[in-house]
Amino acid sequence: MKKAAYSFPEEVLEHVFSFIVSDKDRSSISLVCKSWYEIERWCRRKVFVGNCYAVSPPILIKRFPELRSVTLKGKPHFADFNLVPEGWGGFACPWIRAMAGAYPWLEEIRLKRMVVSDESLEIIAKSFRNFKVLVLSSCEGFTTEGLAAIAANCRNLRELDLRESEVEDLSGRWLSDFPDSYTSLESLNISCLGNEVNLLALERLVSRCPNLKTLRLNRAVPLDRLPNLLRGAPQLAELGTGAYTSEMRPDVFSNLAEAFAGCKQLKTLSGFWDVLPSYLPAVYPICSQLISLNLSYATVQSPDLIKLVSLCEKLQKLWVLDYIEDDGLEVLAASCKDLRELRVFPSDPFGLEPNVALTEQGLVSVSEGCPKLQSVLYFCRQMSNAALNTIARNRPNLTRFRLCIIEPRSPDYLTLQPLDDGFGAIVEHCKDLRRLSLSGLLTDRVFEYIGTYGKKLEMLSVAFAGDSDLGLHHVLSGCDNLRKLEIRDCPFGDKALLANAAKLETMRSLWMSSCSVSFGACKVLGQKMPRLNVEVMDESGPPDSRPESSPVEKLYVYRTVAGPRLDMPGFVWTMDDDSALRIS
Amino acid sequence: MEEMVMGTLDLITASPHSSSSSSSSPTTDNNNNNNHPSSSSSISTRRTDLSTDLRLGLSLSPSHYSTPSSREQRSSFDWPPVKSTLRCTLVEKSQISHFVKVYMEGIPIGRKLNLLAHHNYHALVKALANMFRTTILCPNSHQLPLISGNNVHVLTYEDQEGDWMMVGDVPWEMFLTSVKKLKITRADRC
Repeated sequence: MKKAAYSFPEEVLEHVFSFIVSDKDRSSISLVCKSWYEIERWCRRKVFVGNCYAVSPPILIKRFPELRSVTLKGKPHFADFNLVPEGWGGFACPWIRAMAGAYPWLEEIRLKRMVVSDESLEIIAKSFRNFKVLVLSSCEGFTTEGLAAIAANCRNLRELDLRESEVEDLSGRWLSDFPDSYTSLESLNISCLGNEVNLLALERLVSRCPNLKTLRLNRAVPLDRLPNLLRGAPQLAELGTGAYTSEMRPDVFSNLAEAFAGCKQLKTLSGFWDVLPSYLPAVYPICSQLISLNLSYATVQSPDLIKLVSLCEKLQKLWVLDYIEDDGLEVLAASCKDLRELRVFPSDPFGLEPNVALTEQGLVSVSEGCPKLQSVLYFCRQMSNAALNTIARNRPNLTRFRLCIIEPRSPDYLTLQPLDDGFGAIVEHCKDLRRLSLSGLLTDRVFEYIGTYGKKLEMLSVAFAGDSDLGLHHVLSGCDNLRKLEIRDCPFGDKALLANAAKLETMRSLWMSSCSVSFGACKVLGQKMPRLNVEVMDESGPPDSRPESSPVEKLYVYRTVAGPRLDMPGFVWTMDDDSALRIS
Repeated sequence: MEEMVMGTLDLITASPHSSSSSSSSPTTDNNNNNNHPSSSSSISTRRTDLSTDLRLGLSLSPSHYSTPSSREQRSSFDWPPVKSTLRCTLVEKSQISHFVKVYMEGIPIGRKLNLLAHHNYHALVKALANMFRTTILCPNSHQLPLISGNNVHVLTYEDQEGDWMMVGDVPWEMFLTSVKKLKITRADRC
């Protein structure tokens, strides 16, 4: 073989590869041949690890010695809804320690649903001289002391984003630990913090960082301090307000309105806790430039929401409570023709009776009026097959469709039939659908539709649905691109799981809780599939103290090259291939 | 699990949130605050007979029966799938205040505390420690009561069923709906 004729110098290949950014493409490149694998791994700068237990720090470091950016995800998605007990895992420390040693030039760390300690934050603060980005999304385990270490030491920090993390807020003093010489902040998200930060320190920080584009405040920042902050950062593109309430005083209002009007680049708004409706008009001057509006905490009524939304003609993303009602969604459909994403959250999730006039009609209106709508998350109390059919036909361009009918197993409210056909229409017409969440009364038939049509489906969430193993079998055997499957309270059991064991190696993970999978089947799966970690969770005691046919409480199966994990708490058992139960 | 499936039947026919409404003090206003004036007439709440439909969805495997109360509780903290940050904000909004009595062991006169003024266990413990001028061990902290002195306490609560429980085991929102009163007891007694 004439090697010379077929090879480019390494430097040329490296240069070419530097234009390839997507993980999938990088992965493909590395599979071409050994030398491409070698070249690629040395010049890979950014890595995304969707499940921190699928690989280990040494394996990562060995393959990619020169990373600048690492993203890790820990707990399964259902942890967001209290289904994963405390102590389950997702510890960031081993990763951070290892990376501190291996990547002195690391610039970015993004963690999601992981347990991060103050110690880890201190290590980050002291180990990476050019550290720029820290994003802790839905993380927990750290306090404001850890933040103080970051503030005090990371001279080149550009982004500090704590979105939705649970932080033990010991004091607001940490913000003052940013030195006066520090001016490189571009993005700050402290919306999850419970206590007041030092407001003076915040104002000074904001006004001395000329590149600050994103500022998301926490609820404790009072509204009357907002104008000063805005005046200190007129270049702001994204703002999250604090509590949006104050004594009603005309000077506070006009000050606020003026400050908002001065932010000509402001495109994204969020926050809005405790909204006093009479202060909403302060944002009217900038509504026409907004592309994203998050009103999930704004507990105001439909008329106020309608006025606001009708002014946002460029809106692409709206997150709102169901106070907006069907009427409001109709106005949205008429005013916001550029809408790409809509999320409607329930204002009274635990009430039995509807408290607002929001039905399937609202979603139908938006599907009719907004041609670019791709992503939907909708909580409601009634749905019909007819409505779902209409939505599917109106919007074949949907890529994410998550519907939550609040009452489990609710049938089509018009016909009292299961909603199989409606969801079937969604998967059939929306050929690019990547994410789907089901709810309502559903039989095995809906899964047949999903298996038949959901060829691009990557993530499926199922609750209180199906009749038998056939349902699960349809999904596992039919959905070619399935990566994540999460199921709760469904009568799915051993047969479908074991018959499709090989499929599980092609997926990131499978979660099943309150289903009918037996302990015996979990053991078989664990033995059969050495490259899967089959983890059984049971808070009532070791599963082998009950008959093998007993269903397990929770099952989490994921593919891994790192073998069974060693940090499991007492209520997690791994079913590994030497068939011994390892109880940690 | 099958018991969950059977338990859902109870969930739909009975009010699953009787626990939350009965724990509210006279000042709370559970369902009236945020009602839109036009809501009641335009919504059809067709709750005729769901038992047939439920049977369609039920598994045919052997079932175990769970107590309705345990099923009700469970559904209110992991269903519907709403993240805890939003959940907390909404619970607060629907109940302006939720005052409970707090007693400290050895002191006959109690205090009253608005639980909704605090967003999490940490804030609650801090407030009580201040109120009663003592050290209260934080729930879920790994500090063992090494000091067997008089001034270290733990926080307990009486739930809807009349049982006394350690504060901190269940998610905050679930605690809010099940707590009836609080007691600060000496750590070395537990």
